[in-house]
Amino acid sequence: MITLLERAPIEIKTWFLNLLGSFGVPEWILAVLSAGIIIGTIIGVFLGLFALMSVMERKILARAQNRYGPNRVGPFGLFQPVADGIKMITKEDLVPRTADKIVHFLAPVTMMIPALMVLAILPYGRDMVPAELDSGILYFFAVGAGTEVAVFMAGWSSNNKYSVLGAMRAIAQMISYELPLVISAIVTAMIAGSLSPSAIVAAQGGFALGFVPQWFALTPWGFAAGLIFYIGALAESNRSPFDLPEGESELVAGHLTEYSGFKYATFFMAEYVGMFAVCGLFVTLFLGGWQAPLPFLEIIPSWCWFIGKICFVAFTMVWVRATLPRLRIDHMLGFAWKFLLPMSFAAFLSAACWHYAGRGPLAWLLSLAIVGIPYLILGTSFTKRFAVSRRTYRFSE
Amino acid sequence: MMCEFLKTCCTDPMKIIGEWLVLLPAIVLLLAAAASVVMRNLIHAALCLTLSFIALGIVFIALGAEFVGFVQLLVYVGAVAMILVFAILLTRPEQLTKSGTLFSGLGPAGGALAGFASLVVLLAFIFTSPVAKKPLPAPVSAPVAAIGEALMGDYVVALLLIGVLLTAALVGAAVLAMEDKKP
Amino acid sequence: MNFPGSGIVKGLAVTARNFLGSYFEKDRLTTEQYPEERPTLPENSRSFPFLIYDGTDPDAGMRCVACKICEKECPPQCIFIIQDRDEAGKALKRPKVFDIDISVCMSCQICVEVCPFDSIRMDQEYEMSSFDRFDALLIKKPQLLKSNAYYQKIHPTEAAETDARLEADRKKKEAAAAAKAAAAKKAADEKAAKPATPEAAA
Repeated sequence: MITLLERAPIEIKTWFLNLLGSFGVPEWILAVLSAGIIIGTIIGVFLGLFALMSVMERKILARAQNRYGPNRVGPFGLFQPVADGIKMITKEDLVPRTADKIVHFLAPVTMMIPALMVLAILPYGRDMVPAELDSGILYFFAVGAGTEVAVFMAGWSSNNKYSVLGAMRAIAQMISYELPLVISAIVTAMIAGSLSPSAIVAAQGGFALGFVPQWFALTPWGFAAGLIFYIGALAESNRSPFDLPEGESELVAGHLTEYSGFKYATFFMAEYVGMFAVCGLFVTLFLGGWQAPLPFLEIIPSWCWFIGKICFVAFTMVWVRATLPRLRIDHMLGFAWKFLLPMSFAAFLSAACWHYAGRGPLAWLLSLAIVGIPYLILGTSFTKRFAVSRRTYRFSE
Repeated sequence: MMCEFLKTCCTDPMKIIGEWLVLLPAIVLLLAAAASVVMRNLIHAALCLTLSFIALGIVFIALGAEFVGFVQLLVYVGAVAMILVFAILLTRPEQLTKSGTLFSGLGPAGGALAGFASLVVLLAFIFTSPVAKKPLPAPVSAPVAAIGEALMGDYVVALLLIGVLLTAALVGAAVLAMEDKKP
Repeated sequence: MNFPGSGIVKGLAVTARNFLGSYFEKDRLTTEQYPEERPTLPENSRSFPFLIYDGTDPDAGMRCVACKICEKECPPQCIFIIQDRDEAGKALKRPKVFDIDISVCMSCQICVEVCPFDSIRMDQEYEMSSFDRFDALLIKKPQLLKSNAYYQKIHPTEAAETDARLEADRKKKEAAAAAKAAAAKKAADEKAAKPATPEAAA
């Protein structure tokens, strides 16, 4: 029974394809159809999650601010995405007269394609990876680089100074935070010995002492690397507190100023799907992927655990959004280059020492020290740098 | 030849797709590179160059060199193209709204002729050399671990030297950008 | 415990407490869900003017005498009055047409302040949306006439004060009328008594 539920998605697909095969459909059509079913399911699930997220984010933010969220459309306001979708579709599609029409049209497309493509390498359950790539993590970041091109295209094609400014800031932010992101991802690949996400999930398997999960986030270096990855993920998807590029009070909507209607909805969708994708990678690398936290909880199917963990991480992202104010651009970039990058190197060194010191209690203490001491030193010097002091002028007085 | 093509389409379409998976990005690569050279609008030229980077990455992946292909996408499209765009925007704002191509007058025609002639000569040399007569080695798709071991083992000196070079470039860029801080 | 990042952790704790508290402590959410729960307005809140009638018959008990002072004093000129005339053409002390254009009215209450007969007051009804921008927003006399009992319900203090004043005025008028009647009766009595004395003298 348990195995049946666990294997349900794959079994249903195999049954359907066998049914078609018995009707005499040629082999290669079946292969294409198999891929098509997987792709359709994943896109359907993630677009559904996007719709749910757009209303749950508003409701969670509202509850954290002591008010109700949207509660008029449907039970508890859960049909709000339908109303939003209808609104977006029926809005007039404005293109500025002096805008670069082709680039303006292609920017949302170029933004959406990488967001959907990176979903291919995540292990959604036991043996449920759409594309079993040997260098899956590298694929994730390589395809994610397409987002930066899309942001630039959006900003520049609008022929609007604020859009270009917003796009430049967005690109600077994305490039700056890509480094700590990639390095903290490589830390887990180093310990697991492979760049393939399935191998990294398998390396977090088993239970120490019979009930403690061996997820990477529960080790000192894993916790540090996970935190760095999480912060980098927030920055890559332009979410608060790193949402200066699209802050309404700063630059109207930044690089999205001149977009309306369905194109804006596409950008919105790409941002949320990208957020889910990077949450999925965070779960895969640091929270054990599709594995249950305790042995007796393995009754619940692995793909349920994966979706549940993604939802939990998304909830924490909304929680962070409700808590922290927006960072200024120079603070944001300084944080990336002067704090996160050295800390990611420290996490790297700590992981290596943990592995080579034998993974015993001494190794744990050593890795904790290698991560903790730079954190305290960098943290205090960093906050001291921004302490309020008497302002000195260069040219007057 | 058309009948051959259609026959293989019906029986083994994967082979056709496999061949065209390399040919199509290669064609896109050539066209995009040519377009980026002749366009007057610098931003359009930069975007065409980015397209050619993406196409080159796909060619690498289709040829079985996954690691190199992904690194090409990550580094060239994610970083180099963006730096190119930043550089254009910061240094040459007056050339951003032009349109059309460089094909005007006899200069480009002569250049195209010279380019075509050199292509013919190069192809002649390549196809008549002894290297072309040797059989192709069997394609080896190396797992990433093998590439990593080679880099850290046989080629570690080159890797470290490149690292030093990049660090020097980074420090130099930071020093250059920091110049005007002193009053 | 002040490690770097402790402020963020404290902030997250505050947000979490707010989030969980909004489900368990009912008095955190102060939103009034509008169509289901209407807000309780203070007594002095006002929306648009209405006309008062005393008693039960609107036309007979109407206090307005069509003096047109409110029409002249209204700043955006949103009141339109036409005085009623009888068959002979003589003006009557009542309006035939009394329209207020509520798309123009700015609720300044000047018409209320200048009315000498306490006949126009401010109403509290605000749900007057319509699908027509022009005709449906011109409120006519039958819709404007509301009883004094309604006025006492919506503005108890004001109504009590107005009623007391009107009652006092009425009593004074009655007293003045009674005094005049008594004086007239006394004069008539004296006049009747006066010829008696010369008669008695002669």
